[in-house]
Amino acid sequence: MTGAPQRAGELRAVASMLDQLDYYELLELERGASGEAVRRAYHRASRRFHPDAWRQAPDELRVASARVAARLSEAYAVLRDPGRRAAYDRQLERDPRALRLGIGQAGAAARSASAERSGRTGRGRRFFEAARRDLRRGDRAAALRNLQMALAFEPGNPHFEGALAALREGREVPELERD
Amino acid sequence: MERVAVGIDLGTSNSCVAAVRDGEVEVLPNAYGEATTASVVHFHLDGTVTVGNAARAAMIHDPLHTVASSKRLIGRYSFSEEVRKARAICSYPIVEGPNHSVRVRIRDELFSLPEIAAMILREMKAVAESRLGCEVDQAVITVPAFFNDNQRQATADAGRIAGLEVLRLLNEPTAAALAYGYGRGLRQKVAVYDLGGGTFDISVLEIGDDVFEVLATCGDTFLGGDDFDDRLIDLLAEEFLEREGENLRRDPFALEKLKVAAESAKKALSVEEQTEIRIPDVSRDAEGRPRSIERTLTQGEFSGLVMDLIQRTFKVCDEALAQAGLVPRDLDGVILVGGPTRLPVIRQAVADYFQQRPHTEIDPDRVVAMGAALHAASLAAPGFEGEAYLLDVTPLSLKIGVAGGLAETVIERNTPVPIEQSRFFTTFRDGQETARIRVYQGESRRAEENELLGEFEFSGFRQARRGEVRIEVGFRIDSDGMVEVTARDPDTGASTGTKITLSSGLSEEELEEILRASPAERVRREEGPVAGGSGPTPSDTPDGPGAAPSAPKPPPLPAVDEPDRSAFGPPGAELAPDGDPTP
Repeated sequence: MTGAPQRAGELRAVASMLDQLDYYELLELERGASGEAVRRAYHRASRRFHPDAWRQAPDELRVASARVAARLSEAYAVLRDPGRRAAYDRQLERDPRALRLGIGQAGAAARSASAERSGRTGRGRRFFEAARRDLRRGDRAAALRNLQMALAFEPGNPHFEGALAALREGREVPELERD
Repeated sequence: MERVAVGIDLGTSNSCVAAVRDGEVEVLPNAYGEATTASVVHFHLDGTVTVGNAARAAMIHDPLHTVASSKRLIGRYSFSEEVRKARAICSYPIVEGPNHSVRVRIRDELFSLPEIAAMILREMKAVAESRLGCEVDQAVITVPAFFNDNQRQATADAGRIAGLEVLRLLNEPTAAALAYGYGRGLRQKVAVYDLGGGTFDISVLEIGDDVFEVLATCGDTFLGGDDFDDRLIDLLAEEFLEREGENLRRDPFALEKLKVAAESAKKALSVEEQTEIRIPDVSRDAEGRPRSIERTLTQGEFSGLVMDLIQRTFKVCDEALAQAGLVPRDLDGVILVGGPTRLPVIRQAVADYFQQRPHTEIDPDRVVAMGAALHAASLAAPGFEGEAYLLDVTPLSLKIGVAGGLAETVIERNTPVPIEQSRFFTTFRDGQETARIRVYQGESRRAEENELLGEFEFSGFRQARRGEVRIEVGFRIDSDGMVEVTARDPDTGASTGTKITLSSGLSEEELEEILRASPAERVRREEGPVAGGSGPTPSDTPDGPGAAPSAPKPPPLPAVDEPDRSAFGPPGAELAPDGDPTP
């Protein structure tokens, strides 16, 4: 099964979306899923993405399976624990985006591309998120101020600069509007 | 040439090797036809070594040059409780090496624990090669589930020194569960009660067909069959002291005789109601007349000696079940692992505790190696039929030392691995330039009560007032249970990281040096059974390719820069926790 093309495609897809998936999406679960369903989902996902199954695969896929497996463990550790799950659910209600971007903090090195888009630094990211919220409310002036702050913490970030330029020129701002 | 990956159960008292051949898992017996080989290394005067039961026999006549129970010392600091305890029991000299590591001194040479373990692994590799008739250079090696990172690292080093590619360090109870449930399509919750020579582990697993998920694991690395023997040795020594006025514990030769007698009495009680202990000539009186020990020991008497030790294992079981959120009657089966579980007193106590009879059809001495072999076969062969997925957990919480001598948890115990998790810390002083990051494993809030895994300095972060800087410390635990740690300032992007390679093991340079000198090559294969050997005469036992004759002595180990001992003092007040763990 190792390296079977459809499996490899699936692994690549999940690995590339990892930072956009919340724990339920990652495990393909409904929000209200039972503890038993959580366990079954974890087993099901492990059969597909367990690093042992990809041991003989090319580097790219082995790295991808390691990333996915680490995130599966993280998701399972939270969702199987009623206390942690309730806290996570509340966070998910409040601010789904921030949560998705915040999960798996230790994998900092692994998520450089999406980090580039949303910010490499804590403060850069925070102001960038604030700008995003401002824009969603239609407050372009506030978004502009927050973007400038984000750039102050993260000078030269091309996505921030692009967004700032677009805001100033009154154009659409894909950097801020894209999910 | 055909290559076979084997599974090796590297035990405190005995080791066992198994392999999958033609789809069947089998234990590979040694030259004497024995399924297990004593984890004992005897150093001869000419610099060669013998491993196995012949070496165990040497414990009596050459105790100073015969190393047993070395697994109790591997990956430990020289100042640890366990090492102190081992010094009291072991006749061979245990000394301090660089960075508070442990070394064994044999004549004028110092040996690290990974080197000793490598000699045993080398022997098991040779046993496998001789039985399989092909080269063996890949193995899954098992470790107690409760082993910390230092102990795992040291075991992995031993594998490398022995010339093995270590495919995986597999937890012993997980291996046993795999051997039990493999290919049977089970849907069960099981407990693995693993009482080895020197360690106790309990793991609770959920088996869902081809998935083996560890729900919780707990253990006690200070408790094993050796402790049962110690109780008996104490009894015999006390009685002798009372009768003859001599303390046999002070005489290494007498002590070894007591040890051997205690162990065989314990084994006899696994099948008999009572046994005769006879040690002729255990010592001499002032006139040089031999004195002996003769005594009957009943199961009842033995139970009385060890019952508190057995009860201690159930405290650990309570904890594991609570962590798994189960009670004994939720379990569909109980698997016994380790020689001591043959004792009727243990079987009965386990049956009472779990409210069900444990599986007795499984050989407790072989099941771990068999599970390791199954896992080795699936890891080594691409597209191995009937893959099983092992989902294990980290047995101990990972912590970072913070101000006030405390330790803050980053990853909780019994979290599934592999995993990455991080937590933010902050500086403790205004304008602080460096932070000393100390990594611990254990369950205590107090840093010093946990096992120190290692430490490193982190600098290059932003300087600011105390509490204003954020330092993100991230842990990664891989499928071998080994830990990597990184520190990062999310504001400046500065970061540093390390696989925690430990002061208590070997430095990379030392390891390189040892690999060049390959001391494990010195293992000498016996031609046949020797006096004291217990096995039948070998029939078809060509020496394996690993059986090199005595190789030249390795050069003395290189000196290593000794870090200041203060590095192990109370943790520096250099980090403070900053908010809750992520996520």
